[in-house]
Amino acid sequence: MLLEVRNLVIDYRATRGRVRAVDGVSFDVPAGAVVGVVGESGCGKTTAVRAITRIMPSSAVFAAGSISLDGKDLVQISDREMRKHLWRDIAYIPQSAMNALDPVWRVGKQVEEVLVDRGGMNRKAARTRSEELFAMVGLEAKRLRDYPHQFSGGMRQRASIALALALSPKLVIADEPVTALDVVIQRQVLDTFVDLQKQLNLSVILVTHDISVVAYVCDYVVVMYAGKVVESGPVADVLDSPGHPYTMGLYNAFPELGSDDRELSPIEGSPPDLMDPPKGCRFRLRCPFAIGDCMQDPPEHFVGEGHVAYCHRASEAHQLRHKAKRTETWVGVTTE
Amino acid sequence: MAYFLKRFSHMLFVLWAVATILFFMFRTMPGTPLAAFIDNTTTAEQQDALIRQFGLDKSLGEQYWLFLTNLMQGDLGQSFFFKKPVVEVVMEVFPNSVILTLTSLIVAYLFGIMVGAYLAWRRGSWVEGLGIPLVLTTRAAPEFWLGMVLLAFFSFHLGWFPSGGANTSGSDWTSSWQRVTSLDYLSHLALPAITLAIYLHGLPLLLMRSNMLNVLQEEFITMARMKGLSTWTIVIRHAARNALLPVATSFALGIGGAVGGNVVVETVFSWPGIGRLLVNAVSASDYPLAQGAFLMITAVLVVMNFIADVSYNLLDPRVRVETR
Amino acid sequence: MKHDKEIYIPGRGIHFLSSVSRWLVSASAIPRRDPFAFAGLLLYLIFILIALFADSLVTHNPREILFDNNYDLARNLPPGGDHILGTTYSGRDIYSQLVWGSRGALLVGVTAAVWVVTIGTVVGLIAGFFGGLTDTLLMRLADIALGVPFLPFVIVLAAFLNPSQWNVVFGIALLLWPQSARVIRAQVMSLRERAFIEAARATGAGPWRILFVHIAPNILSLSFLYASIAVGWAILTEASISFLGFGPSDSVTWGYMLQDAYASQALGRGQYYWFVPPGLCIIVVVVAGFFISRGYEEILFPKLKD
Repeated sequence: MLLEVRNLVIDYRATRGRVRAVDGVSFDVPAGAVVGVVGESGCGKTTAVRAITRIMPSSAVFAAGSISLDGKDLVQISDREMRKHLWRDIAYIPQSAMNALDPVWRVGKQVEEVLVDRGGMNRKAARTRSEELFAMVGLEAKRLRDYPHQFSGGMRQRASIALALALSPKLVIADEPVTALDVVIQRQVLDTFVDLQKQLNLSVILVTHDISVVAYVCDYVVVMYAGKVVESGPVADVLDSPGHPYTMGLYNAFPELGSDDRELSPIEGSPPDLMDPPKGCRFRLRCPFAIGDCMQDPPEHFVGEGHVAYCHRASEAHQLRHKAKRTETWVGVTTE
Repeated sequence: MAYFLKRFSHMLFVLWAVATILFFMFRTMPGTPLAAFIDNTTTAEQQDALIRQFGLDKSLGEQYWLFLTNLMQGDLGQSFFFKKPVVEVVMEVFPNSVILTLTSLIVAYLFGIMVGAYLAWRRGSWVEGLGIPLVLTTRAAPEFWLGMVLLAFFSFHLGWFPSGGANTSGSDWTSSWQRVTSLDYLSHLALPAITLAIYLHGLPLLLMRSNMLNVLQEEFITMARMKGLSTWTIVIRHAARNALLPVATSFALGIGGAVGGNVVVETVFSWPGIGRLLVNAVSASDYPLAQGAFLMITAVLVVMNFIADVSYNLLDPRVRVETR
Repeated sequence: MKHDKEIYIPGRGIHFLSSVSRWLVSASAIPRRDPFAFAGLLLYLIFILIALFADSLVTHNPREILFDNNYDLARNLPPGGDHILGTTYSGRDIYSQLVWGSRGALLVGVTAAVWVVTIGTVVGLIAGFFGGLTDTLLMRLADIALGVPFLPFVIVLAAFLNPSQWNVVFGIALLLWPQSARVIRAQVMSLRERAFIEAARATGAGPWRILFVHIAPNILSLSFLYASIAVGWAILTEASISFLGFGPSDSVTWGYMLQDAYASQALGRGQYYWFVPPGLCIIVVVVAGFFISRGYEEILFPKLKD
């Protein structure tokens, strides 16, 4: 197991008080696997995943939990120690490369910077390597001389991928890497990324709110809602036989990548305010299958091999899935 | 290129407009321009001769045309007081103003940029809490008053610096360059330059700080941190580089504004610059000289505005590269 | 104060004045939030009071030449006894001059600020709202005003017209309006589209009404911001002009005091008690203006809090 996250708790200090953005999240990343972390915006997925790099806004507080990379706990070590791992072991692909590159530096120079400063290469070797990296992601070498604003959105994402792979990291965290792109380009960039992952046997954490991306790319999936993990497991299992109503609802809400002939029905309502989260199961206010028991914290239920869901009615998942496939189930839930 | 030409022609337009305003202002002001020359002993004949000599007998339109054509040939007329071409008189003192302005601006900007960047890095600390009001105070103080205090203390009281002028009178120099780089000149330059630097550093400081605060929030800075780059690299090579652009532009603007604004400092320290020349010329009703000095100051202001405009385009790769 | 992107839309049949008074009430919320703005307003208040009650606060007539008991000129007396801050070279009481100077400062400062901001606001409103040729013309005018070196111009003005404090006001009004005009113009242009839509739906009002009743109240905060800085600028300029000897010789202002001190070789005599206080007063008043404008600027252009 390359990465083990256990009971991670992260708060944000806001003027109104503390917001618990991540409340006891645990998941694993096996070596060479692509783990998708999926959920609505505000569910804490970005926070949880960024915490692995420990580069957080100053209002963020590590309240509890551990993050182990190859058995080494990253939460406890000093900043200096952590810095050694950054980019060499853990790399990050940001959501929108629009602002992720320094606008007054040439792109090539920014790639070389990482190779020289952190990879210990000399100028010449860095030059060659940056050309290699660009070739890997499908960008022409001459583009290295350009400034970021001369790149299109898709090109910038590719450059971000190249940057992330520069030092051959063990783990790549990709935070909504294609969300900001238009649909056609999304597919292309994702394909490039998937190819590279296979070639280099990268371990990837892919954060997204779009479950069809997960279906297309990931080996495992972690479904998050309101700061908690509600379901996780191998992708095929989770998507074919979801154990949690939220996962069931998500699937209905997104078009399959490249096709839009399925009827969509987004889940009504919005996520709860994490300053004052609801008691018990946090999804109950939007869940069509909620019962009285849901006022208590949901238990862990083993749906299958390596596949868990946190729901009181997970044992009935089989029947609930049928109902969930019908759009009427999801209408009028929040008004009850 | 098109932008450059547009701004250039705009600059010419403003120069022309201000010169015109100046012309009419000087001609239509109450108080005859020849008051300096005319007293009880001047006969009507002599007065007429003077009037003709200075072209005051022609119509306003003709005078204006003469004025413009002369201006374009670099002829600013004769100084009443010095009996020399205005251009000569102005160019004698102009370099002193330039030296004073550049010296103080460079010191002010270097200091302001570094401290501004530092204050941005130390956001929320007591250093910031104390520093900002302090800086605002330096911008609120009249420059000449600062000069007076420094003069009283460092010159009259401690005797560390001379009390006025640019050179000790009676000294001899082999060349302009030698004069200007001599210790004597520099010791005269010190106090006025320090005074101005204190007054002027507030702008680059606050501007740099403000820009840095904005840039430090940008995503590429977060990414730089994630890459594990060193603090120096992040703050200086990335953040400061980005934050500097508007400050560099304001430097050009600063030159433009300072040459005219230095009037009071030049007066306090009796620094023989163009501002002081203007004041003396005005006091002596030597209006060709006053006009010439004013035009010179205006020219610097307008040209520097233009340079500031265009330089931003050149410095910002986002704009520059577009024109490829 | 308006929230984020909302425009303040007064109801039907509302007058400009009542919009303004409504704005004033919300504007007074700022000092409560920002300690600097509060300090600034307090300082302004103190100076206004000093200026108003100058007659009662002075110990002597500021212009009167004084003599001591031996009928000698009471010149260059150090602080103490009858004279809190000593006397000048001509035997005048410094403290009284200082107190009296507050009147001149505030008079010039406030008048000039009002003029600059009024011109700037009106020009900004018209240029931003009507656009087109009007806008181009007004902005060209602004460019010319910005091309004129400020202090030299006021010097020439003061020299050729009769020296009086109003030359300074005149010069400031003529040259300093572009800064506020430009910013207000930009704001008006961004508000223009939305205001039209709202107003058209509300009353079917004509352009002038939209301009003054709907748009103007939203940019008043900007005007106020510039006014508080303009006061400081005006006082500094007046001081500079007086120092250079182009100010009126019959009124006692802080600038006049500094000129007097300089010309009387007070520097050489180390009479710090003479020339330091007027400068300090100027600093305090100008800084107060900065603080106020910073307090409001935080609200108008909130920076990202960490």
